[in-house]
Amino acid sequence: MASDGLHESETLAALRSEAESLKGKLEEERAKLHDVELRQVAERVEALGQFVMKTRRTLKGHGNKVLCMDWCRDKRRIVSSSQDGKVIVWDSFTTNKEHAVTMPCTWVMACAYAPSGCAIACGGLDNKCSVYPLTFDKNENMAAKKKSVAMHTNYLSACSFTNSDMQILTASGDGTCALWDVESGQLLQSFHGHGADVLCLDLAPSETGNTFVSGGCDKKAMVWDMRSGQCVQAFETHESDINSVRYYPSGDAFASGSDDATCRLYDLRADREVAIYSKESIIFGASSVDFSLSGRLLFAGYNDYTINVWDVLKGVRVSILFGHENRVSTLRVSPDGTAFCSGSWDHTLRVWA
Amino acid sequence: MSSKVATGSDIGHARRAIEQLRMEAGIERMKVSKAATDLLQFCTEQAKSDPFLVGIPAATNPFKEKKPCAIL
Repeated sequence: MASDGLHESETLAALRSEAESLKGKLEEERAKLHDVELRQVAERVEALGQFVMKTRRTLKGHGNKVLCMDWCRDKRRIVSSSQDGKVIVWDSFTTNKEHAVTMPCTWVMACAYAPSGCAIACGGLDNKCSVYPLTFDKNENMAAKKKSVAMHTNYLSACSFTNSDMQILTASGDGTCALWDVESGQLLQSFHGHGADVLCLDLAPSETGNTFVSGGCDKKAMVWDMRSGQCVQAFETHESDINSVRYYPSGDAFASGSDDATCRLYDLRADREVAIYSKESIIFGASSVDFSLSGRLLFAGYNDYTINVWDVLKGVRVSILFGHENRVSTLRVSPDGTAFCSGSWDHTLRVWA
Repeated sequence: MSSKVATGSDIGHARRAIEQLRMEAGIERMKVSKAATDLLQFCTEQAKSDPFLVGIPAATNPFKEKKPCAIL
């Protein structure tokens, strides 16, 4: 009996050392094509001028930390969720609140607007993702029409509708991502591979096909094929949790923000990290990142209350924005690129332009 | 907030990890110089329609103030 156990652990050790040597080979293959740095190629591009970006609107109303926000495709409405369990839909032009719903749990860590603008999805410590249709009937109770769609075995950290109101992609503290049918609540596909909590996800721009990227506490960013459930590429260069991932507008790359105080750019066709956005003076984690419409600017919100604006190609910071009085927890550029919105632990959201 | 998912030290897990690594090692890759040039080209082409780069005048950006500021 004892010899069987010994045999099994020898096999396991052998498999593990094979995995290590394969990892080494993978890095060698990637390194062979690393003939130049992105910032060197970008030397021929003109430097960016000065930016004047200011807070144009402040959305006040949450009673506790704002954890997540999303824009409606109408470029005007915003949904936000908070630690106090409230989810609010705002008109960002007027700052009026249009809808509010109280979730049965606190820490609503994820929220998303449906492509049609007629519904929102949210979830958090309840381990679920629920969809609420938005109605303008004053007599109707929004909470009454709630539909539970996703069920995880740990907290919901991120959610996003796919190209229609019919499917939702979720990420969870249970280490998995999943694709759900909204109408039936059926699990369509699950994505296993992260070794710890998954904290964020982003869908590839529709022209580039059926993939999405996720980031987690295992310091890995993983790119998935939505149909097969397979991980097609994985990147492990961050030194701490990855809090946010966002595709470059062309779909050929994605950016990440991490607790290691850096943001990084990964090119999918070169299959490697091609830029790091960091400074010695930046020592707090980046919680949330998004690109401007052309992909030239990367807006990143940090735990030191600031927002840094990076020149994606040249790798330098072009602006630093102050205003929030606590951690910036969420940040998204509006669908037409005219503004971006940040949410913070200071209970407010700010629209910058 | 983070709770560690059980990573499992069983042989099946190790075998799957090896298969995954073999698959990833086999994908087609592009030189960074070519990939970077494509990123640059995309940026340059899209720059003229990027409101943050081009600058939208107050009249057309719904978030910027249009009313004049009277200094008393």
